[in-house]
Amino acid sequence: MIPDTDERLASVVRALTDVVLPALPPEAGLAMEQVQLSIGQLQILRGQLDSILSYEADELADAVALGGELRGLAGDDAARALDDALVGAKTAATPAEIRGARKAIHAAIDVVVTTLSRRPYADRRRLQAAIIAAERRRVLKDRRWYAPFGFDIAPPTEA
Amino acid sequence: MLMESTPEMEPAFAALVRRRAAARALPPYSARSTEFVIDALTRFFATERPGSSVGDIRRMGGGASKEQFLFTLTGADGNAAKYVLRMDPRAAITETDRRREYEVLNLVQGVIPAPKPVWLDADGTHFEQPAVIMEFVGGVTKPSDSSLKVSGLGTFLGDRLRGELRGQFLDHLVALHGIDWKAADLPSFVAPTGDPRQAALWSLNYWVEMWHLDKCEDRPIFSLTTQWLYDNLPECDDPVLTHGDYRTGNYLFDETGGKITAVLDWELARIGDRHEDLGWYLMQLFGFFENGTFRAGDLYGREEFIAAYEAASGRTVNRTTLHYYDVMASWKCYIITAANGLAAARNQHNHQDVLLTFLACAAPLFADDMCRLLSKDMSQ
Repeated sequence: MIPDTDERLASVVRALTDVVLPALPPEAGLAMEQVQLSIGQLQILRGQLDSILSYEADELADAVALGGELRGLAGDDAARALDDALVGAKTAATPAEIRGARKAIHAAIDVVVTTLSRRPYADRRRLQAAIIAAERRRVLKDRRWYAPFGFDIAPPTEA
Repeated sequence: MLMESTPEMEPAFAALVRRRAAARALPPYSARSTEFVIDALTRFFATERPGSSVGDIRRMGGGASKEQFLFTLTGADGNAAKYVLRMDPRAAITETDRRREYEVLNLVQGVIPAPKPVWLDADGTHFEQPAVIMEFVGGVTKPSDSSLKVSGLGTFLGDRLRGELRGQFLDHLVALHGIDWKAADLPSFVAPTGDPRQAALWSLNYWVEMWHLDKCEDRPIFSLTTQWLYDNLPECDDPVLTHGDYRTGNYLFDETGGKITAVLDWELARIGDRHEDLGWYLMQLFGFFENGTFRAGDLYGREEFIAAYEAASGRTVNRTTLHYYDVMASWKCYIITAANGLAAARNQHNHQDVLLTFLACAAPLFADDMCRLLSKDMSQ
């Protein structure tokens, strides 16, 4: 691929930094802020570019794992929705399909949770524990991914 | 998807849900130009203040919600004063009502330092979008010394300012919660007096609706937290007027004198549970850890604040109720960043989409906080 994606993004960042930003008048505060944020977003994207597909695939793998774990705790209707979503995930290949499959599993899990109050107490506790444990692992990955934005006071280090 | 019939909530908030839903089909929104604002203000004051002139207009920075312009209005008598025009974009990171903001700002005058509202355009007749014009108040929301800025969502104040501001911060919150809202002129407000759990339920239902309107994807910990919030609704024995966004960053202070000059951003004010304000202020992500010690809003340690609030207000802080609103605070922030802000940007209905998508990257921190808080509940 010539030029490669990073080269193209790098040229956009340089144009915004060296040409557009200095050309803005001092009173254009909103424009300055938005150019600076755009530069920041693009720089972070450049750093993540090679990992985006594997990151999304990992998100789907985590969703499949949690969905499978919750399958036995779900009521009949919710279990069917979860089954459909899990089956759909098996054939997801393109980035759009991977995102779609993940969303479908999360939507099915939402249905499982919504019907939680109708489940026996022990099942509810197991389901809550499974979601919290899975999300604790997932959220660590997300915090590392979004750490460059600077919101995280103590971002987790690499696993 | 929005529920077919809006669940039980304060009528003004139900109207906000309907407004947000209706606005989704509208075309993209562009930031208002200075020329637009000059023209709109000039036409507005030709009627409101004949003989006056508008000048020195400039856009104000900061904030992720409204378009704000500072201007000078010179009257026919030659007297000049500074005002702030605060306008809604088509959609913002929070959906709020300028009329309620106007009413509550009027109410707190003389009780709590706050900008005095002077004109209201509740339905956008004059400015195309709902707007309020208020007197300008000087001050800063964070220290101007940028070396004091550290990473994170909160504002770092430092030792001197912390010492000067924290007592005032507490006193203003106690004064707000002490207002006799039953005797107040707040025509747009309805109190949750029908059932002891109504205060929590109304807030919860409103935010659930905002989530369903704008979400792009479910998240298991969010689903679990929503269910937990419905399953654990606390009773409110003593509704108060709440601010809704009371934290460091939402007040102006005089950097030299260390005095709070104005409490800002009243748009989420409602009559509700005092613990909702406390849980919001105490949220970890708005505070700092220094040498392992947490300070909410860089002002108080958690237990220190609870004790100080109880002593100053004469009210008890119920730990179970506070835990509920701790959970709700992080859950609401997840909705605001991961749903409302992103939807406003996705629909091109805001003047700073790039800021909203930037802020959305903080959403995993709120998911993390939900995990932490619900884990506490699981261990009990």
